[in-house]
Amino acid sequence: MFNLKQFGSTLALSTAAMALAGAAAAAELGAKDETIKLAINEWTGQHITTHIAGNILTSMGYDVEYITAGNYPQFTALADGDLDASLEVWSNNVGDIYPKMKEKGSIVDIGPLGLTTREGWMYPKHMEEVCPGLPDWKALVDCKDKLVTAETFPKGRILAYPADWGTRSADIIKNMGLDYKAVPAGSEGALVAELKSAAARETPLVMMFWAPHWVFAEVDAGWVELPEYEPACETDPSWGPNPDATGDCGVEAPVTLKVAWTGFEEKWPAAYKFLEEFKMDTSEQEAMMKAIDEDGQPVEEVTAAWVEENSDTWQPWVDAATQ
Amino acid sequence: MSTFTRGFATSCLKTWPWLIVLILTAILLTQRTEFPQIVAYPEAWTLPIAEAVSAAMDGLVEWVQHTARAISGGLNVAFSAVQWLLIGAPWLASVSLFALIAWQGGGWRLALLTFVLLLYVLTSGYWVPAMNTLSLVLVALPLSVLIGFGLGYLGYRSHRARQAIMPLLDLMQTVPAFAYLIPILLLFGFGPVVGLIASVVFAVPPMVRNTILGLQNIPPAVLESARMSGCSRRQQFSWVEFPAALPQMLVGVNQTTMAALSMVIIAAIIGGFNDIGWAVLSAMRKAQFGQSLLSGAVIVILAVLLDRISAAYAARQLPTSSFCGLPLRRFALVFVAILAVTMLAGYLFPVLHDWPAWLTYSPAQAINEATTQFVRAYGDLMAAVKNGMQFFLLLPVKLGVERAIVPFTWGITFTPAAKVAYWVIALAGCAVAFGLSWWRAGVAILVLAGVIYFGTTGLPWLTVLLLISLVAYQVSGPGLALFAGGSVAFLLITGLWEPAMISVYLCSVAVFLCIVFGGLIGIWAASSEAVSGIIRPINDMLQTLPQFVLLIPALMLFQVGDFTALLAIIAYAIVPMIRYTEQGLRMVPKTLIDVGRSCGCSAWQLFWQVRLPQALPQILVGINQTILYGLGMLVIAALVGTTGLGQAIFVALGEANAGAGLVAGLGMALIAMTTDRILQAVIPG
Repeated sequence: MFNLKQFGSTLALSTAAMALAGAAAAAELGAKDETIKLAINEWTGQHITTHIAGNILTSMGYDVEYITAGNYPQFTALADGDLDASLEVWSNNVGDIYPKMKEKGSIVDIGPLGLTTREGWMYPKHMEEVCPGLPDWKALVDCKDKLVTAETFPKGRILAYPADWGTRSADIIKNMGLDYKAVPAGSEGALVAELKSAAARETPLVMMFWAPHWVFAEVDAGWVELPEYEPACETDPSWGPNPDATGDCGVEAPVTLKVAWTGFEEKWPAAYKFLEEFKMDTSEQEAMMKAIDEDGQPVEEVTAAWVEENSDTWQPWVDAATQ
Repeated sequence: MSTFTRGFATSCLKTWPWLIVLILTAILLTQRTEFPQIVAYPEAWTLPIAEAVSAAMDGLVEWVQHTARAISGGLNVAFSAVQWLLIGAPWLASVSLFALIAWQGGGWRLALLTFVLLLYVLTSGYWVPAMNTLSLVLVALPLSVLIGFGLGYLGYRSHRARQAIMPLLDLMQTVPAFAYLIPILLLFGFGPVVGLIASVVFAVPPMVRNTILGLQNIPPAVLESARMSGCSRRQQFSWVEFPAALPQMLVGVNQTTMAALSMVIIAAIIGGFNDIGWAVLSAMRKAQFGQSLLSGAVIVILAVLLDRISAAYAARQLPTSSFCGLPLRRFALVFVAILAVTMLAGYLFPVLHDWPAWLTYSPAQAINEATTQFVRAYGDLMAAVKNGMQFFLLLPVKLGVERAIVPFTWGITFTPAAKVAYWVIALAGCAVAFGLSWWRAGVAILVLAGVIYFGTTGLPWLTVLLLISLVAYQVSGPGLALFAGGSVAFLLITGLWEPAMISVYLCSVAVFLCIVFGGLIGIWAASSEAVSGIIRPINDMLQTLPQFVLLIPALMLFQVGDFTALLAIIAYAIVPMIRYTEQGLRMVPKTLIDVGRSCGCSAWQLFWQVRLPQALPQILVGINQTILYGLGMLVIAALVGTTGLGQAIFVALGEANAGAGLVAGLGMALIAMTTDRILQAVIPG
């Protein structure tokens, strides 16, 4: 066992030397007897992404281990090499620790995962009857009274992200000059619970949310149409409906990233190359989420089936890495 | 009338410091529109303590990281070994051996209970995560017991050591774990070790306290006779002190076990191994009540088993116990024999090795659907309850009636005439109380009227600082006054004043409701065996079920906000109030009640004049515990959107900001310790 390990690290060193020489056309597998530890976060889409990548890495000859990790603590783990990669990091929810670690050079961003995302104010479908002008944002001005609550009186209530995810809703309310108050939800569970409850009881609700998310398999929803984000909106006050403020528009769609420990490329060059290529299709991920969260199938089976059926999609990524 | 005026005069004389503070407050409040810094502590007067702590933490990490990482390497090996034993072995072997250990402690009934409950865990499909959690507890336990025993013995031998240890224990038990998870993560690295260390920190104090208690309670005559018969210091320890203190220390082991388990669940937020706390948190994140309840039930089962088994071993040491299990050598023999047989069976029949999937059963989906049905059916009723509580209790305490009474909430406007009437009634109430020489009641009426009028968030900070110091001074003396004033000053200069007052508001409303309803339930339970029998398992469940579980249905019924948080806090903090009230009332000596009855007391008089005064010390202990539990729940309450110190700790967790988290955690601990000490000083005996 010890010898094997030593062999692995010698191999890693030699590939590093090759990389330095700039002569590596096809990446070596690297330390393939050492386990690649992939982060498993708290949401289903991420489980699917990670299990598919892990499955393909296994078929390339790697040993993969899935380790549960909180969304923020995982960056400390990645920086220390206690985790090797996290494959679905949402740029809108990385806290302050991600940029800090990235700046230090202890983690690397290995490119977008490619999900088509959306972020903004969302509502359960029955809101279109409660507040007839929706999805146009101007409807919110007229039906404010429907959204007034005890905590926000005399303003309307918009359920916002937990305080530690930033102040997007409050900023939009302020910049658009709306008579609403952003109420921080405290946790993702609180957001989902409110959505489920409002959908079941048909009570009014507008909340900040993002897609793809598994809950849309369960709840029919619509998105408030705010003026679409443009860089000019951030800099030019005259842009957008409020002539006196910048930022009077929707949110820029978040990017999903793959993030790895800095030593990853040196240790497992081929795996690194593959992960660079690796992409996830939004509609396919959504279909798998539905199978898992709604039909109760195990994530391992759903993802294994996908890998089996879609070698046309992923074989080129592997080829790019090993040939 | 002359007694009234005399009473009034003496009351005024006795309460002059209070009156000065109150007059000062009135003056401050008239100036608050011109000088907003009277209520909102100015940011310019704060000190960057959190930044300093973060910087010190960075230095510390550089300095001791190597040692810390070496320790975590060792702990990881121990954890993996236990994990390999519990999960790698056939389920039949694990279950049988646990049942054997239970039998050795408490006999057949306990063994059967263990066996059946573990079969349920297998059926639930949470076996692997449950065993992962158990592995961590089994590694944390000996560590906590050894450290706790060491510190406890030190505290017993040296008075000076004890003076250093006691406040440290208070801190370890009151600083919320979320505040020190990040420092532990930075020092010891990612993985199960974080949860392990956090649970050792939290689980050591009960062991220390019980060790000191056990050793101190040894009758002096026993120690004397040991010395007279020529024992050396060492002999005296191992032949006299240790055996005599053992029963109390085993009570400590029992409490330490429970504390370790509860903290392992909290620490699951970091991740690192597939444990049952992670399952609860993931379900919470998806707002799936069914899944979180079922995984929570597995935790309750682990708690029940650990509690019963460790309590059985503790009880076995008592001289009254008749059951003593097998002698150690024969026990080991039986253990090995069962291990061999079950291992063999497991390898021969795969069904006995890995629990077959078709034998698992999960009603999670049905529970989820029932929850939705309930929300649909009773949602409007619950919304009405919530609004009533918001308008008439929460908002007045938070914002004060001057801001809470508006047509939207109460349906009326708080007119200037009504405001004058409010103050006239308050002052008249105070004057009457003074006249009757109830000067404490008079001051209480004025303070309460002020708090309800201006709200906890609208009081001048100087008033709060002075009032709390004054209370501490009057119940105890200058030492406590200094501590209390220092705690308030800490919250001010760290810039945590606003979140702290929100925490205080939420916690005091919750504690008030706990005292009223918990007290009533306790009184009811004390008078009826049937009620007591129903309440006890509910209490056990509320205390062992992870606090995250109940958040989901509460959220679905009452949405994000203070009321949901209030319910979550009450669900957890009401338990000690019920328990101590019942216990206190039941412990009133029967002879006293008989005497009361023979004096011709009615049931009503008997309660107010005999039973309640007798039970009061116990009830006060219950109130104290309720306050500490309530403060402990504030961090969890932040998950449903409250904005107090709990949220400050969560934000720090998100930023991986060790300093901000520790400072906010320390602020919370100081609030808890101040209230605890003030109450301790009030409790007679």
